[in-house]
Amino acid sequence: MLLKLSLTGIKGRLKDYIVLFSGLIMASAIFYMFEALATNKSFVSSNSPIRMASIIFQIGSVLLGIITLVYIIYANNFLMSMRRRDYGMFMMLGAKGRKIAQLIAAETLVIGMAATLVGTVLGIGLTRIISNLLLSQMDIQVKQFSPFYLPAVIVTVVFFMVLFVMAAGVNQYQLLKTPVLQLLHNDQQPNHVSQNKLGQLVQIVLSLIFLTIGYTMLINVATYQIAGLVVALVTIVLGTYFLFNAFFGWMLRLLKGNQYIRNRGLNNFTLAQLRFRIKDYTKMLALVAMLFALALGAITVGIGYQSEIPAMAKTMAPYDVVLNQPNPQARQLAKNLTGVKATANYDVKEDAQTVYYRATQLKKNPIMAVQYSNDRAKGIKPVQLKTLQKGNVAALQAIQVPSQFSKDVKVVTDAEFSQIASGTIPIKTYRVKDFMANLSVIKKIHTQQVIANPELAKGQGALMDGSKYVNYQMANGMFSGLEFMGFFLGIAFLAMLASCLMFKILSGAASDVKRYTMLAKIGTRRSLLKQSIAKEIGVLFCLPGIVGSIHVLFGLQLFKQIMLNPYQNLWLPFTIFMILYVGYYWVTTWLYQGIVLKTVTQ
Amino acid sequence: MDTPTVVSIKDVQKTYGKPNEKQYTALKGITFDVKQGEFVGIMGASGSGKTTLLNILSTLDKPTAGQVEINGQAINGLKGNQLADFRAKEIGFMFQDFNLLENLTAYENMALPLTLQNVGGKQVQDFVTSIAKTLSIDRLLNKYPTELSGGQKQRVAAARALVHKPAILFGDEPTGALDSKSAKELLDTMAQLNEQQRVSILLVTHDPFSASYCQRILFIKDGQIGQELVRGDRPRKAFYQEILDTLGTFNH
Ligand SMILES: Nc1ncnc2c1ncn2[C@@H]1O[C@H](COP(=O)(O)OP(=O)(O)OP(=O)(O)O)[C@@H](O)[C@H]1O
Ligand SMILES: [Mg+2]
Repeated sequence: MLLKLSLTGIKGRLKDYIVLFSGLIMASAIFYMFEALATNKSFVSSNSPIRMASIIFQIGSVLLGIITLVYIIYANNFLMSMRRRDYGMFMMLGAKGRKIAQLIAAETLVIGMAATLVGTVLGIGLTRIISNLLLSQMDIQVKQFSPFYLPAVIVTVVFFMVLFVMAAGVNQYQLLKTPVLQLLHNDQQPNHVSQNKLGQLVQIVLSLIFLTIGYTMLINVATYQIAGLVVALVTIVLGTYFLFNAFFGWMLRLLKGNQYIRNRGLNNFTLAQLRFRIKDYTKMLALVAMLFALALGAITVGIGYQSEIPAMAKTMAPYDVVLNQPNPQARQLAKNLTGVKATANYDVKEDAQTVYYRATQLKKNPIMAVQYSNDRAKGIKPVQLKTLQKGNVAALQAIQVPSQFSKDVKVVTDAEFSQIASGTIPIKTYRVKDFMANLSVIKKIHTQQVIANPELAKGQGALMDGSKYVNYQMANGMFSGLEFMGFFLGIAFLAMLASCLMFKILSGAASDVKRYTMLAKIGTRRSLLKQSIAKEIGVLFCLPGIVGSIHVLFGLQLFKQIMLNPYQNLWLPFTIFMILYVGYYWVTTWLYQGIVLKTVTQ
Repeated sequence: MDTPTVVSIKDVQKTYGKPNEKQYTALKGITFDVKQGEFVGIMGASGSGKTTLLNILSTLDKPTAGQVEINGQAINGLKGNQLADFRAKEIGFMFQDFNLLENLTAYENMALPLTLQNVGGKQVQDFVTSIAKTLSIDRLLNKYPTELSGGQKQRVAAARALVHKPAILFGDEPTGALDSKSAKELLDTMAQLNEQQRVSILLVTHDPFSASYCQRILFIKDGQIGQELVRGDRPRKAFYQEILDTLGTFNH
């Protein structure tokens, strides 16, 4: 009987349950996606130039675990906010407390388990889709990665099961502890929040001081090193907390103080709602802002590395293509290069100890070399013939094959050159305007070059082929692994934190129904009610988003040492992030309006 | 000469449920008028259709058949925003459970209907303070609802319902949640508003005492007007007795 009643209860709120269920599915899917990377040690270590990567992933894993925990708590609250009344009613009707408790536990567990299983399967699918997308879109190479990874499945399922068993226990306990009457009337109302003005002022000042210290540490990370990072972490977390606890409340009060704003439509109501919410959500919003920064930071750095590659390629080798003893196919292919800035021909002869170059050719078309200053590549410059003749011949490696690197170099006159009794090897160099634009042609040429010079195929380590293409490939292999991780990390975090925010907001919807119904009764247009909701939720999404973005802008200072320009192409990660985040905002608003305005007929 | 009619309803019927489902006709043809400045009560047993009628009058629900006019305007044709605007301008509302917004002060609650119509700040202040004086709540303006007693809350709610000078004030059991002393105070105030400011009031109530403040009472039974009592010049006590007697016979 009770089971039947309970099922009818669920049927009546099918839409809310679908929201909850799909939210949980997403959570476990995302968790799986992340674990598929994090638990795959061989993937992490073979794709990262940084030894820290596996530590980063472990930290990420713990963080994501914590967010998931928070998420489950909010989702569970949402579930309970829907069911409290029903359960209270059953108890009023004389159902035994223990029976009800069993029912709750069963409901929580069934929903949780089902969502976890569906979510894991979905996670495998999503991982495949996203990795394929990334792989095909960005000339990315990822080693040792497979969408289905058993340890990840086990970690995901076990982790969620434990969470849901805990949630079931908590629900049971809470329900048995709460008096029936309170279950029936659980309109925890947004009361007005009185604030101590002096305390607020102190907190505002503190928040600004903390943030300034934190940001300064980030900017000067080179000076303060690890200690600076720790200080930054602590101060920024505290600063963010105080910002939400005091600063935004103060701003809302300023807005409320403005006659013109206050006396328009529902503004006063919206502002009052917001003041309550921000106070109530302080920890949540601070957390979201921090996670937002982490997630956006991860994506930005990931994309940053990827967009560094062409810039790095520019300075990795002086020539875009060096045809060393080319076959006819390679020559033919070279004609397809676009935007050729300069070409040069060199004749080379070689015996067992020595490689010979013609002085006239090296004078006419000086060999090019990468210039360095302070260990950083600073562009390509021609090398004077005199320098080569003095014995500084390293620049010539740019047009050599690896087996020539260890031989002596002699720059000779044309007459001497013709005396040497070995065959002439023709070499042609190309410099193009845009390496990336010619990538596919260059790739084909490289294949032909390897056929013409088999030693290039085994080139590794000290004897590695110094061509730009090979350098590019190496960098790409390393950095696209990083980008891939950054993307996964970022999106997993974003999805989780936005879902947390969503469910936190939605859990408040039930107690708002009465308010909006009343407003509709006294003649508020439906569109105005919707607007008020959109504004309220908009601010709740916006504030942590803005604070998080500012954190990221300062946080990127950390990468100034490792990357050429961490601020390049910022629009790309920010846009991707915005789209996802706005999507979450939109869904939240829509669902909230659905719950709150359900009874508002017109 | 003729007092204008503020509420006029003709042959209003209301059937709940879609045609292919179980249907229930809650109102079976109701006709009556409320003149400007009248204080009319509606009584009836539980389930007789009082709330249904009030919802239709206050444009929250549509009748299945029949016409409703408020302040000379037929509301059948209105929809969406027009309906909301009409409600905001012409109708004042009091609920059994006050329905104040807990996160706004009494003043802000009362200002709400005005800001909805984007009335200027100075005017808002004038209107709110003047209605607050009338209802003797001018000392409570900066308090939040949680700091007010039930009777005070309902006065604030009354002020909110009247601040924009609606054509008619509807009340669905506004004294239902009040103790008898606060209920009496509220009713005295309403009667005073009705007499001195000629506010038209339509009150739905179970309670004979509340009903005795009305000038005219309509009894609804099974979705129809079964009987009408008019107070005339009699003292309230006598009218109260008559209501009790009528209820005794009416419900059986
Ligand atoms: N939305 C609805 N759908 C179907 N039937 C309804 C609906 N609302 C009310 N009814 C039915 O219409 C009849 C009249 O209901 P109404 O709420 O108007 O009664 P009431 O006179 O206000 O009663 P009470 O004094 O208990 O408030 C009742 O029998 C009720 O069951
Ligand atoms: Mg009723």
